[in-house]
Amino acid sequence: MLLKLLVFPGFLFLFVCALFFDWVDRRMIARFQGRVGPPWYQPVADFIKLLAKEDILPTGANPLTAAALPMISLAAVLTAGLYIPFGTISTASFEGDLIVVLFLLSLPALAYFLAGWISVGVYSVLGGSRALLQYFSYEVPFLMALAGPAILSGSWSIAHIVDYQGQTIWIALMQPLGFVLAIIGLIGKLKRDPLDIPKAKSEVVAGSLTEFSGRKLALWHLTMNMQTVVGIFLLVNLFLGQSSVFGTIPAFLSFSLKSVGILLLLSTASALYARLRIDQLATLGWRVLAPLALVQILVATWIGG
Amino acid sequence: MSKITVPIGPQHPLLKEPLAFSLTLEGEHVIESAMRLGYVHRGLERLSQERTYVQNVHLFERVCGICSHIHSTTFCQGVEALSGLEVPPRGLYLRALLCELERIHSHLLWLGVQARNIGFDTIFMYAWRDREIILDIMEDLSGGRVSHAVNIIGGVRIDLTPEHRDVILGQLDTLETQIEALLGVVENESSFQGRTRNIGTLSLEQIRRYCVVGPVARASGLDMDLRRDMPYPPYDQLKFRVPVRYEGDAWARTLVRMLEMVESVHLCRQILTTLPDGPTSARAKRRVPPGEVVSRAEAPRGEVIYYIRSDGSDKPARVKVRTPTLTNLITLPDQLQNISMADVSVVISGVDLCIACADR
Repeated sequence: MLLKLLVFPGFLFLFVCALFFDWVDRRMIARFQGRVGPPWYQPVADFIKLLAKEDILPTGANPLTAAALPMISLAAVLTAGLYIPFGTISTASFEGDLIVVLFLLSLPALAYFLAGWISVGVYSVLGGSRALLQYFSYEVPFLMALAGPAILSGSWSIAHIVDYQGQTIWIALMQPLGFVLAIIGLIGKLKRDPLDIPKAKSEVVAGSLTEFSGRKLALWHLTMNMQTVVGIFLLVNLFLGQSSVFGTIPAFLSFSLKSVGILLLLSTASALYARLRIDQLATLGWRVLAPLALVQILVATWIGG
Repeated sequence: MSKITVPIGPQHPLLKEPLAFSLTLEGEHVIESAMRLGYVHRGLERLSQERTYVQNVHLFERVCGICSHIHSTTFCQGVEALSGLEVPPRGLYLRALLCELERIHSHLLWLGVQARNIGFDTIFMYAWRDREIILDIMEDLSGGRVSHAVNIIGGVRIDLTPEHRDVILGQLDTLETQIEALLGVVENESSFQGRTRNIGTLSLEQIRRYCVVGPVARASGLDMDLRRDMPYPPYDQLKFRVPVRYEGDAWARTLVRMLEMVESVHLCRQILTTLPDGPTSARAKRRVPPGEVVSRAEAPRGEVIYYIRSDGSDKPARVKVRTPTLTNLITLPDQLQNISMADVSVVISGVDLCIACADR
């Protein structure tokens, strides 16, 4: 059990995946932009470099809280990752673990806001409040979109949802609207372009993390990358679960291909659009995404029931 | 809601050059702004009085990095008028060629910066990649990518062989295709328009009141271009259109600059295909007869004015430079009134600031 927790599909595996996904994302975006992109060891090098840098905070910022916040976020994301099966292997599973996972995955957003708040500087506070505003805009459609597969399969356990898809077809094909909404919600959750409003370089310098440096910043970046991995794995399990579409290739291979596929989708979205303004996001979230998510849930209830 | 004061600059990721803003925000809205210049002031006008006219050509090219050639052109034009010097047509055409190439270069650079400020990195990368074509042309012509040192009093120091001319024409064709593609994106892409439409709108009346010049004025409906209205040679023999839009917002300014790029490519082609033969410069005397002159030209950002007064020696008595950025900067407090924090970057970079020009 300890081996599963620490190595595969636990901490070490997620760590390697986080670095790998970061590399694929940066390479893909670079290729879209006509550049070459970084070599495969770039995320590793960035992490090591940050660990070696000076770790300072402005006066007035509470050093204990500043040190605890990235650790809490990382712990939340890793714990969420425990319940998300990779292919057929899963560390832990129980009825209702989807709700626990969604709750744990929303902790980093709160921690991000707090990090900006305690950093005292103007850009940090602005970035933090924007992060909270963004959270309120995307989280509701995201949660509703992810509730769709649960309603359809009649279970709140991720493993059971995957099994349900094994007996029928991908939920992405049964609920395409929910799939698109989940992708958009994921882009908002991960604060990726076009929804990287809280860390818009030309407006708030680096948002909440402006005053962080050194080891703490390394942990924050690791949390962001791990969140990407865990979020993509969650989406793959809920919408593109195991099925016989790919024939008889091993489960872990098909899972990897699907994950990288969703990552490429996210990278494409990053390269193609300009950043939204926060009020445009709020309008989009509440006037378009939330009603559509509601429609999707109603359809799911009607079909499933 | 409580008010917070956000400093933009002097160092900030959105600014290319140091400029200080102090914005008072209430939530996400700007309610007050204060601006401060002078961070790049180098006292060039005073320095010019200690240098000869020849040394001043070198000095005034360094007023700005991006529009360096137009500054030295305007200065040389003024000194040539004072000396009664007639620049041979080939020299004038080559000067204009570099002026137009520099205009394209400046607008592409600006497009990249504007795109980056709205979070559209892809356009930034594409625009700066296409900028490399222009930089290669300028390097082959003059030896320098951004600072050319091509002007001398009396003409230019470079020349062009017919083979080189054909190479440049080919490169211009490639560039034109790329610019048309970027123009298509700016005109049609919804997320770009969502960030630039109806932002920083200036009415024609405001333009007239602040004496705004250049693409910012042309985007609000003021049909004024020095190359057409007071043509300095060789523009009196060249045909081109002046793009004008009437919306007055950041999107209109983007469109005006992109259409100007297309027109500049046409102008470069005209210059290259109708290049007259002959010498490229006339010999200038060391001393300039006493007098005063006002020399004007159309820089990428608008009308640049040089007032030169000579007292008969080989050093100017006074050179006064009025750069277009100074007039465009004055509109910023008006534009920053009551906008969202996210639009601040669009507005500030929309007027295409060249603080080095404004501060001298």
